[in-house]
Amino acid sequence: MSLLELEDVHSYYGHSHILRGVSMEVEEGEIVSLLGRNGAGKTTTLRSIAGAEPPEVRSGHIQFNGTDITDLETEDVIMSGIAIVPEERRLFSNLTVEENLELSRISQNTWNTIRRKIGLSDPSGKSLDELYELFPVLEERKEQQAGTLSGGEQQMLSIARTLRLPNVELLMLDEPSEGLAPQIVETVMNAIETIAAEGTTVLLIEQNVQAALELADRGYVLDMGSIVYEGTAEELRNEDDLDQYLTV
Amino acid sequence: MSEETAQQLTDTDAAILSWETWDRVKHTERFAIVAAVVFVALWSWLFARAPITSELGGYHSLATTILIWSVFAIGFNLLLGQTGLLSFGHAMFWGGGGYAAALVSLHVYGDPVLMLVVGTTFTLLLAALTGVIALRLHAVYFAIITLAMGQLLYYLATSPLRPITGGRNGLTGIQLEPIFGLVYLGMPLPGIFGTLWVNYEYLLVATVFVLVIAFVNRIRKSPYGLIFRAIRENEQRVSFVGLNVWRYKFAAFLMSGGIVGLGGSLMTIESQFAGLGSLYWITSGEVVIMTVLGGVGTLFGPVLGAVIFLYFEGVVDGFPIVGRYWLLMLATVFTAIVWKYPDGLWGMLKLIASRIRSSVEDNP
Repeated sequence: MSLLELEDVHSYYGHSHILRGVSMEVEEGEIVSLLGRNGAGKTTTLRSIAGAEPPEVRSGHIQFNGTDITDLETEDVIMSGIAIVPEERRLFSNLTVEENLELSRISQNTWNTIRRKIGLSDPSGKSLDELYELFPVLEERKEQQAGTLSGGEQQMLSIARTLRLPNVELLMLDEPSEGLAPQIVETVMNAIETIAAEGTTVLLIEQNVQAALELADRGYVLDMGSIVYEGTAEELRNEDDLDQYLTV
Repeated sequence: MSEETAQQLTDTDAAILSWETWDRVKHTERFAIVAAVVFVALWSWLFARAPITSELGGYHSLATTILIWSVFAIGFNLLLGQTGLLSFGHAMFWGGGGYAAALVSLHVYGDPVLMLVVGTTFTLLLAALTGVIALRLHAVYFAIITLAMGQLLYYLATSPLRPITGGRNGLTGIQLEPIFGLVYLGMPLPGIFGTLWVNYEYLLVATVFVLVIAFVNRIRKSPYGLIFRAIRENEQRVSFVGLNVWRYKFAAFLMSGGIVGLGGSLMTIESQFAGLGSLYWITSGEVVIMTVLGGVGTLFGPVLGAVIFLYFEGVVDGFPIVGRYWLLMLATVFTAIVWKYPDGLWGMLKLIASRIRSSVEDNP
């Protein structure tokens, strides 16, 4: 059984039919990349999984760890083990770096309390020290307002923040390389690789095909709201037909 | 004093050293409480009886009223300033608490503490009921539904519930019993205490004021305060870190309503009257003006806003010739301040202080 499974998902923004039957699977431990150009429906797919509104999922099912999460509220989706790094970082820009991280710790506490009540041992999100080891620059900037960080630093904070959550089984990232300088893209991608190597499954949404396929095991290509191609990273790299779906 | 520390103090950065200490101290919780205690201890005297400052025309009962309205504004600011929710119906908690306190004193017993407890409990229930409905809406729709709910309550008090509320006449004839059966609130205080605080009523109001400051300050520094600020910035991002936004907004609404109800009950104790004006939408508007004028989201800003607003209403109003234009003057002051300093009077003071400080640091 796959960790995440989308089955014929149709999503709408008001009257606009955006996702037209998306089906895809992410196996445990994989890095899967979801590719496609602007407006193909990548972010809509992520938001549908996250239970964020809009869009509205009108038919189809989304399963995570064997349970149906199609109709869950966002915070419950997050708590069930899916962490999200939304597009354009989406930090709390007036809060400091440490306060941004602190917010995740609060939900970590809530979650641990629930776990303890049903008699399970405490899972732990990463500690601040572990996060600062992964992203040393954040420690230097911890008193700074998140909005004043550079794009790369914000991206690192956005990733660090999700790792502070308890129980991250699947990490979904929405265009983490967007608007970043090439060497920063590499730092961010390396961080994602490190996280994946520790056993976290990753769903990576990207326009930067090259960077994404370097990292991914498999990939899906989305166009006009449906999956038009799927295959291993190797196959995707060698498939020339894909250019029509990926170049602007 | 050891030689070493003496050396440090004579160092040129002695000034900077003390600034650092000040920066550390002013953000501590105890400092805010001590500041509030010092403020209420001197406030009535400075405003109404001190040699020079009382020339401005302040008087004791206005000093008390200002503290009570400050509680209202602080409670309102917990919702607007911390959580970013603009309610235009907070008069329902102010008036609701006031009526509940009046009713318990008329029909049960007039112990001021009982009146405060009943008034606050009633508004907490009212906030739970209205919050469940109003918090489903966002931004301007939230403002409008709270306004509508407030006006609904005003209408109910005007006629359908007249047998209980006294309709346009309000509730009069409130008899206050001694607090805890010990002492009447109107009793004058002896000696220096009398000079500073006049009577026991001021002590009660000042105590509530300090407790409310302490409570709100605690909230601001707790995880709740952090989540409220995060919600103020962006609700959806809060749900993306796995927190239930609705739950925290509801908590903020309850706390805000409860504090405002506490203030409303105090107002009934002070005026021994509960009237329709306290439920009217203009009252909701006044607290918005006080809060914005003083500084949204700051701890003491709303207090400053209440001082200025009520000074105009209570003192400038009585000036010869110009007095009748007090509202126009207030509006001018309000527009000028908010235009130049979006963070209100408190923001203005902070800016001035930091300018003075940087000029002092530049020329030691």
